[in-house]
Amino acid sequence: MDTFLQQLVNGLTIGSMFALIALGYTMVYGVMKLINFAHGDLVACSAFVGLFVFSQLLGGKTSVFVVVGVFLITIVIIAFLGLLLERLAYRPLRNAPRLSAVVSALGASMVIENGIMLLWGPQMRIFPELIPMITWNFQGVVLSLIQIIIMLLSMVLMVGLYLFIEKTKIGAAIRASSIDQDAARLMGINVDTIIATIFLIGSALGAVGGIFVGLYYRGITFNMGWLYGLYAFVAAIIGGIGNIPGAMLGGLLLGLFNAFIAGYVSSTWANAFTFTLLIVILIFRPTGILGERVAEKV
Amino acid sequence: MMKKLQQLGYPLFFIVMALLPVGLNDRWLAIATTFIIFTIVALSQDVVLGKAGMFNMGQALFFGMGAYTSAILNAHFGWPLLATLPVAILIPSIFGILLAGPIIHLRGDYLLVATIGFNIVFVQVLENNLGGLTGGPNGIFGLQMLTIPGLAFLQNFTPYYIALIALLLTLLIFRNLETSKAGRALHYLREDDLAAGSIGINTRVYKIFSFGLGAGIAGMAGTVYANQYSAVSPEAFNFIQSVLFFTIVLVGGSSVPGIILGVFVMFILPEIFREFATWRYFIFGFAMIFAMILRPRGLWPAKFGRIPKAFLEKG
Repeated sequence: MDTFLQQLVNGLTIGSMFALIALGYTMVYGVMKLINFAHGDLVACSAFVGLFVFSQLLGGKTSVFVVVGVFLITIVIIAFLGLLLERLAYRPLRNAPRLSAVVSALGASMVIENGIMLLWGPQMRIFPELIPMITWNFQGVVLSLIQIIIMLLSMVLMVGLYLFIEKTKIGAAIRASSIDQDAARLMGINVDTIIATIFLIGSALGAVGGIFVGLYYRGITFNMGWLYGLYAFVAAIIGGIGNIPGAMLGGLLLGLFNAFIAGYVSSTWANAFTFTLLIVILIFRPTGILGERVAEKV
Repeated sequence: MMKKLQQLGYPLFFIVMALLPVGLNDRWLAIATTFIIFTIVALSQDVVLGKAGMFNMGQALFFGMGAYTSAILNAHFGWPLLATLPVAILIPSIFGILLAGPIIHLRGDYLLVATIGFNIVFVQVLENNLGGLTGGPNGIFGLQMLTIPGLAFLQNFTPYYIALIALLLTLLIFRNLETSKAGRALHYLREDDLAAGSIGINTRVYKIFSFGLGAGIAGMAGTVYANQYSAVSPEAFNFIQSVLFFTIVLVGGSSVPGIILGVFVMFILPEIFREFATWRYFIFGFAMIFAMILRPRGLWPAKFGRIPKAFLEKG
């Protein structure tokens, strides 16, 4: 029972991170029908930028203001990088064959990943302890302050995003663009602006995800983006790609699945199980749990 | 002019490749052999991605499966490497067919993600040393290399020429594919699979066929790879490798010269400019983006077939 509750807590924590990262994939896929392979690398980049901002810009001493500052500055930098990425690598290929855009996305991913390596070196770096290591022990189940912050903040951000998409005018424009770009354009929506907005929001959420990865796992490497990116992408597919609540649900489910595999089977098989689950889902329900049934065959 | 170039191109290419080892030292001979092997794998990727138009990002799986089949049979059961070749072609082919069967109906990106998934599962199975056969993260080493009886003094050159023979076989398959019923079917499939189905092409069968054929060719390359290094290890077949093959085919434009050019740029140029080794992928990333912006159909786009003269004259 203890293992169960412990893995439940761990699963919800990593699930929240997956969900935050998955939102970036799912929003871009929803509108552009493109797998943004560079998103995972932006997440990795965010962890390194966070480290840099903390140790070089803000003096390396923790306080509430500094922590908030690290989050805000990193989010701004990564969101700007996301915009730049869209402008340079994706916008020129808006009307090109789909595979060309995929190759461009892969190229962008390589550029960011190796850019991190050239800037900060290939060795593993240790993320600073921004949040003090406070833990509570409830009859054998350990819960840390970091885990609580990750879960709460993710929840707040996701609810915020959901309200933004459902209740605001820009949100309506995003939903319209993801249903039919041409029709949206005819209704007077500037689809280019919408795509830029999506990259801005997705990268900002990914930046928070990246800092969480750094806080939770501590060790960060330049090439970790692939793995987190793929996991988040699997989460997006499980929930139904293009569907925002689906990405949140998929992230949490994938986090729980991973934690239970690690707890009950073996962590060396975690990838194999996760991707087998992905393939099974793709075979039997390619539209995911919350994905709408669409006329076009997938 | 163009036609003449094509007629001359292949014999010329093979004559140059056949004479190449004379002028190379050991290091460059090994690089040239690797170049040929990766060309074969990229061509096998092209069967699925370029010819049939299916987004497959897991070709390293079949390459690795061929290499591991040879390595396991050689190291654990004492088969000579040449005898493992048919098995190393057959097993990846069968797996290609079995794995493709259930996912073949998936559209574009979904297929891509599923094939990435297969590749990751495969590598993790290798790393976890399933059944004690795959040797875990270190792989299998100390394989017996192919020897040609009576030509032992040429042992240095055998891996190279074996690779070259394999490439020649692959190009023969390609030539036949281009002028055969199956090749035309794959071409229609790529252009529009709905239309292909409506003119009576069994799209499902041909899609699975292309996976099986691509996997078989990659498996053959795997044996040649195991022969060259006399070792196999999981990281040579992880999905980053698949990404590279995927990229080579698309940037090259899914034509034979384009793919050869792509493999050259991706694997040989970094060997020439070794001092820029750490900048390698950073530069490639930019090159990929610019190549796609400037030439979305690839550097050397494939042209399919020719209109027979008789049709042109009759109007």
